[in-house]
Amino acid sequence: MRTLVFIPAWNEEASVDAVIADVRTHLPEADILVVDDGSADSTTERAQAAGVLVATLPFNQGLGAALQTGYLYALRQGYDFCAHLDADGQHPASEVARLLTEVREDRADLVIGSRYAAQPEPLPGAEPEGEDYEATWSRRIGINVFRFILTLATRQRFTDTTSGMRAANRRVMKLFSENYSPDFAEIESLQLAVREGLRVEEVPVRMLERTGGSSFLTPLRSAFFIFKGLVVILVGLFKPRHAEAE
Amino acid sequence: MTAALAPFAAQADHVSLTAQTRIIAAALAILFMVWILDLIRRDRLQERYSVVWFVAGLAMLAGAAFPGLLKLVADVMGVRDTNVALFSIVLLLLLGLALNFSVIMSRQAAQITRLAQERAIERAREQAAREELEKRVGGEGEGSVRE
Repeated sequence: MRTLVFIPAWNEEASVDAVIADVRTHLPEADILVVDDGSADSTTERAQAAGVLVATLPFNQGLGAALQTGYLYALRQGYDFCAHLDADGQHPASEVARLLTEVREDRADLVIGSRYAAQPEPLPGAEPEGEDYEATWSRRIGINVFRFILTLATRQRFTDTTSGMRAANRRVMKLFSENYSPDFAEIESLQLAVREGLRVEEVPVRMLERTGGSSFLTPLRSAFFIFKGLVVILVGLFKPRHAEAE
Repeated sequence: MTAALAPFAAQADHVSLTAQTRIIAAALAILFMVWILDLIRRDRLQERYSVVWFVAGLAMLAGAAFPGLLKLVADVMGVRDTNVALFSIVLLLLLGLALNFSVIMSRQAAQITRLAQERAIERAREQAAREELEKRVGGEGEGSVRE
């Protein structure tokens, strides 16, 4: 059983080393792939120096396209399971291990790490170090809107619709490498997976405050983000079903 | 053909187009089509995207030559003023074209993304193969491994 952990990274030279080291410590059996989304800095060089494989997109294509690259690679190279986490240090690898357990034991096809579900006990000896993640008020509004709409659209309860920490099996790899919206990856992919009859599950995880950089969301952008998300979900309701993934 | 269209040409007065306007419109239409031809000739425009523009140019020419056609169209639309009919048609045509371009753009954006992804995956595989080879030759063939 082979596992790939991929890390989408865009200008993350400051944190990519630490994330790779973290994944190695907590998921020693997994292969690591960094997907460099056309970074202008030395993300690719840093990752290669750290001794992992790097898939470098020739120009910035957005998070959705970067994630799809990871799924496509995992599918083509014959991995049985894959997981991805952010490169900014918000996602502890010990928590990713928790998600992978769910797909490995075939309790779900796609597992989402949720910041907002009830907090779990840390795995023994794997207490993530750092300050716990706390959402700002403007972000919380957006989160609740999406939570509500997506729950309506999928008839399944989701608490963390935009989480970038996920684990998946081959059925999901097949689906996502063919159909993955470049604009609204996180939300539309959940809707897509549920509609295609895949078992999607949320697992509560701890996430940390970001170590460097700041969120790209300003209030105006948040409003636009929410509006775009609503349109995407609405349109998604009327999209035709794809052929069964397997 | 020309005889059949003659009555339409005769109705110029009814659609309030002066001879001057008609000549200018016809000249513009011809210039426009020559321009399109030139763009194709210089490989700046692909044939498959030029058809729609040719049709637009021909329609413009037809409107200038036979103003009666405009009157006919306006009547069919139930519009009393032919100018309003003309503007509505042009507006709708442009709207359709703009949408058509958005569709083409979306398709090409998806193709570009996939191309970038294939290239990225190829690079990762290349790196894996190179590292595998370097490991196997154990440093001695370092120079010959690099391309």
